[in-house]
Amino acid sequence: MTDLQDSDRVTDAATELDDIEALVRTYRPRVLRFVTFSIGDPDLAESITQDCFLKAYNGRASFRGDCAISTWLTSIALNLVRDQQRLQKFRFWRQARATAIDVTDAASFLPSHESSPESRILAKEQAAHVQAALEQLSPNQRTIFLMRFSEEMDLSEIAAALKMPINTVKTHLHRALKSVRAQVGNAQ
Amino acid sequence: MHLTESQLDDYLIGDLAPEAQSHLDACKHCQALLAEAAAPLANFREVTLAWAERRSATLPLVPAAKPSRATARLGWATAFAAALAIGVAVPVMHHAGVSSHPVAATETASTEQIARDNQMLSAIDNELNASTSSAATYGLQTTLTSEPSRTHVTKVQN
Repeated sequence: MTDLQDSDRVTDAATELDDIEALVRTYRPRVLRFVTFSIGDPDLAESITQDCFLKAYNGRASFRGDCAISTWLTSIALNLVRDQQRLQKFRFWRQARATAIDVTDAASFLPSHESSPESRILAKEQAAHVQAALEQLSPNQRTIFLMRFSEEMDLSEIAAALKMPINTVKTHLHRALKSVRAQVGNAQ
Repeated sequence: MHLTESQLDDYLIGDLAPEAQSHLDACKHCQALLAEAAAPLANFREVTLAWAERRSATLPLVPAAKPSRATARLGWATAFAAALAIGVAVPVMHHAGVSSHPVAATETASTEQIARDNQMLSAIDNELNASTSSAATYGLQTTLTSEPSRTHVTKVQN
């Protein structure tokens, strides 16, 4: 990519970041999903997500355009989640079951172009199994799992966001996938 | 030889070795196993996104403004500057024989206190004016402005 193309990309991103309403409309569901399933508390996740967008908007000048905006937002959200973990301001996943996330209703809102009633039921069940498997993971494994399989970040992006060697990221992902496979396998 | 579970996970993680990838491209059995392993992840991704989209739609579009960290830093900087100013002013005035009370009580000072302070400052100005000759003996020269309280002391140029 030429310097000119890089410059154009940064300018486009900067323009997108200047419009906070468009930014929120486009990216908030994904950030909210990441935060919610990282901490297991949907109410606190909403608050952290709002903070994430304020932080991103206030710090938009620092966005260098070397990653996608969604990746940048996920990194900001990750830092906020970690801040909360450090400050112990929220109840950890295992203690938050009283306000557990109920994604089962969401299956009925899946795009209908490809899903029959049977496949929706299957999707709902499998999503619930993965969610149950997530509960058994360590915070690090859960974060890495979500970055890879929800946010679809690649290994180098995850390693950079977490300041962690790529091999460590791979190890966490292998363990997380084993746990998911066991959960789904047990349910069948 | 078909792919192992670990190799299928490598694929999902995005780290499959080229030889294994070549096998996968050609093997229907392994492709079916991979699809089976990938389905729960794809379903989780879609269902949770649908959930988050619904939830997000109930939130205000623009987050309520909160003081940014920069604003907070400005607040701390102002407080620090004020503390520094007091820290410097009090010893200087004390050294000059001025009580620190008028400074600290500026905002709440009564008219009577202000009058007393002005009287004291005039006395100091007069004292300084009277000591011009003694200042000159130390190589210093005073330059008087129209306001007695704005007396400047400058080094005598040899």
